[in-house]
Amino acid sequence: MAKRLRWFIDSMFGYWVLLLLISLGTAAGIYEVWLKGRM
Amino acid sequence: MFDFVVAGVVAPIFLLVFVGFTVGTVGGFIGVGGGYMVTPALIVFGFPGYMASGIDMTHIAGKGLVSTIRHRQLGNIDWTMALSMVAGTMLGVELGVRLLVYFKKLGISGVVLLLTSVVVMFSLFLYTQIETRRAHRKAEQMTRDGQKIAREIQTSNLPSYFQRIPFFPIVRCRTARVVVSMWVIVGVGVITGFLAGFLGVGGGFIRVPALVYLVGASTHIAVGTDLVEIVFSGGYGALRHSMEGHVDMMAVLFMILGAMFGAQFGSIATSYVRGPAIRYILSYSLILATCGAVLRLAYVLTGQSVEILSLLAVMLTLGEMIFLCLFIISLVLFAIRHRHGKSVPPWVPSLVV
Repeated sequence: MAKRLRWFIDSMFGYWVLLLLISLGTAAGIYEVWLKGRM
Repeated sequence: MFDFVVAGVVAPIFLLVFVGFTVGTVGGFIGVGGGYMVTPALIVFGFPGYMASGIDMTHIAGKGLVSTIRHRQLGNIDWTMALSMVAGTMLGVELGVRLLVYFKKLGISGVVLLLTSVVVMFSLFLYTQIETRRAHRKAEQMTRDGQKIAREIQTSNLPSYFQRIPFFPIVRCRTARVVVSMWVIVGVGVITGFLAGFLGVGGGFIRVPALVYLVGASTHIAVGTDLVEIVFSGGYGALRHSMEGHVDMMAVLFMILGAMFGAQFGSIATSYVRGPAIRYILSYSLILATCGAVLRLAYVLTGQSVEILSLLAVMLTLGEMIFLCLFIISLVLFAIRHRHGKSVPPWVPSLVV
């Protein structure tokens, strides 16, 4: 399991995927908290 | 929440400062204004489209100036190249705007615009990504062989073709260490200005790869030099929008507050990385912007009836800003760790200084 998780750091593509997931999650959070109902 | 009286909008201050910081960081690092990210974000926050453009342009002018000053201190600006390109850019923008007006008269500007955006951005992404991967592999091989790696590694053969064009006057760009016909620089300005004018963007994401792959400037110099262009175009745009009453100065001030720190951080961050790292971030920015444009295109082609497409485009725009900013921050942190001899992921050492 830990080895699989290391892929997110050790591979550049893995790191790309990890950051993209975090970013899209944060964007979804911002939408839920501040923007829902404004659009 | 703050009541922006001029725009007639109540919006959270935090989000404006946040967008200012993230786009400032990205802009200072890859040499773009970031209008393609900021304008849709401001529209989502509730600002009318024309106000979003005006606020965006005014904040880009301020942010561009901060980044330019920082890059000048870092020795990343070639003034000969910058000033030669300004004239070509102005002409190109004018031609692009005229073509856009022509398509508007035909009533197909929306679809043509989005389609052109997708093709241009995806082509640039593809070329930049392939070349940067090649440069990255070369740098990794050099690291393994124990060789010293320069700050710039570039594997494209295109600059050598353009530098051989013999048309008078030949200019010596001392900071960029490039000797090239002035018409090549002016031509790059015209073509990139044309695309920028047609697509309604600042054009940094087109000019930076053009300066690297056509003129032969290093990525750091391309970023700094392009920011000079952004100050000119942003300043003119800000003036025009202010005269038309499209600017809410309070919104601009909050965005500048974030951008002031972001732009300085992004500019200084370039001194921690090699050229390919900047080109990687640029190519990621291009592919995410392409995905956003595809979603908007699908939204337009479905008669603006599938709301989820518009929502996904918005989420992607916000996500893109956060993603690029996080990647830049992590590259700087990895570079600092690497300098102190601490462990970093295997793909990092050849990208950082």
